[in-house]
Amino acid sequence: MERIPCTGCSLLCDDVLIGTDGIFIDKIYGACLKGKERFDQLAAKNRLTSPMIRKNGKLENVSWDVALERIKQILTDSSKPLLYGFSTSSCEAQLKGITLARKISGFIDSNSIICQGKALNVAKETGMTLTTLTEIINKTDLIILWGSNAAESIPRLLNKILFSRGKFRMTGREIKTIIIIDPVKTASFGVMQIRDVALHIEHGKDLELIRVLKEECCKEGNFPEKEVAGIDKEEFKRLLLNLVGAENGVIFVGQGILRTQSDDNVIRELLELVQIINARQEKGRMSLALLGGHYNMVGFEQVALSITGKNHSLQFSDNKLIETKDTIITKIEKDDFDSSIIVGTDPISHFPFSLSKNMASKPIICIDNRKSATSDIADVILPSAITGIECDGLAYRFDHVPIQLKKVLNPPSGVSTDEEILNQIIQKLDVS
Amino acid sequence: MELYKFLPQTNCKKCGKTCMAFALELLQGKVKISDCTPLIEETKYKEKYEALKELLGSEEGIEKELHIDIDEDLCDGCGICVTCCPVNARYCPPTLSGKAPDVPHDKHQLFEVKDGKCVLLNLEHCRRLEADGRERECHVCEIYCPREAIKILYI
Repeated sequence: MERIPCTGCSLLCDDVLIGTDGIFIDKIYGACLKGKERFDQLAAKNRLTSPMIRKNGKLENVSWDVALERIKQILTDSSKPLLYGFSTSSCEAQLKGITLARKISGFIDSNSIICQGKALNVAKETGMTLTTLTEIINKTDLIILWGSNAAESIPRLLNKILFSRGKFRMTGREIKTIIIIDPVKTASFGVMQIRDVALHIEHGKDLELIRVLKEECCKEGNFPEKEVAGIDKEEFKRLLLNLVGAENGVIFVGQGILRTQSDDNVIRELLELVQIINARQEKGRMSLALLGGHYNMVGFEQVALSITGKNHSLQFSDNKLIETKDTIITKIEKDDFDSSIIVGTDPISHFPFSLSKNMASKPIICIDNRKSATSDIADVILPSAITGIECDGLAYRFDHVPIQLKKVLNPPSGVSTDEEILNQIIQKLDVS
Repeated sequence: MELYKFLPQTNCKKCGKTCMAFALELLQGKVKISDCTPLIEETKYKEKYEALKELLGSEEGIEKELHIDIDEDLCDGCGICVTCCPVNARYCPPTLSGKAPDVPHDKHQLFEVKDGKCVLLNLEHCRRLEADGRERECHVCEIYCPREAIKILYI
């Protein structure tokens, strides 16, 4: 039995215990259902084990050389390739992905563009107070879940942040207050006690609530006379008193805020609200944590930022980074691409039909460990090892802390890691 | 005091304590009516025994056993029950900071997450059976489960 980091979600629990018999993982302790599914992927029915190319409309098993030759052909024919995915690969593979994009003058983007990437972009201008999981466990006394159903999307998060007892206190749940702001009554509401605050905000009114909070935080003793964004004034008063009175508060920003509103204003005003609260705070601070889905979404931001100075949506041309406002969404919308390389994700089923239709009309190279809607219509499929189980690497947790992933089993024969595959494609392109 | 009226009030100490102390413990649920042997054996107390049985209701009349029922379909292995259970916290220090406890487990440990589902290990160390006073009414696992998968039952 050994403790390894679980790659089921962005929490990257490093306390999961597994036992192997050399071929499969037969004992899993401490992992949630999401993590268990990730380990089960090893022997799943939809696992890809051989390179495939499309011949006369049908996918056929071929050797690596034939598949790489086909990829070379597709890439040399295309002048505007897209690279997308990379949130379920190690940072090393992401680095190779950026190198490949630079080489083929492509456009590279990760899943964070439809997730927390937007918030990090805004944070580059306004600044952002971050915190780490250990600090949350040991110090925090106020937890706000804003637009996030953590109990179901990141099952072990509430267990770690809300119920654990910190090093400095022997009490856990008793001193921690949780506030959930959500229009829907989700499973997360199940952990609430009488002291906690459940706010059923009206759909799409987050911006209004943040603006009123910002105003009220600046003056003393006054509370609004009528309800705000569907929240009655007593509840609003409790929210405000908690926000201002907490010693170490954390606001968990979920998909509810990150994705639905198209403008960046919600995030910008939320960051400003935190700054206003912190300016009044005498000890401790209020901080933010962005909740993502895929386990290494932050990793791509970090790698891209360290190499190019831009955290996502990188357009290369003639070996140089070009300033662009495009994202993967606008690129596909405008039909401004002629082939795509998808690494470890499934855009055909994630994106709306209008986008996936455009995507499907161009050649797709899919690098993944399992069959998906994308691999079903791909022209070339390269099977990859499962990062975190069959190959090691670095991944960033949701709180921007790097975690070293471990290798516990060897990948099946004929399967390479993401990093190796991308390296082989780069080498293949070098040989003329 | 209500219960004391229905006991033999002889302080025979066959149960090991005075009748007053027996009444008190009967109220807390630590002893059963059947522990008072004269009440059952001697016919002159029969009326009192029947009245007492009626007073305490079916809870004491028929023996009820504690069950903690975990619904496998609802459970998603979040491990909140593992962390918040006071018995786990006492005997498995990693759970204090929300970590998964060691394997093989401590003999006192109540819950464990295996293969993504919560498993009940040994019920005999549960606070509802071992602790005294108010701690006996512990039901944190039931109230905190966000999926409402845990039910404490007396069958």
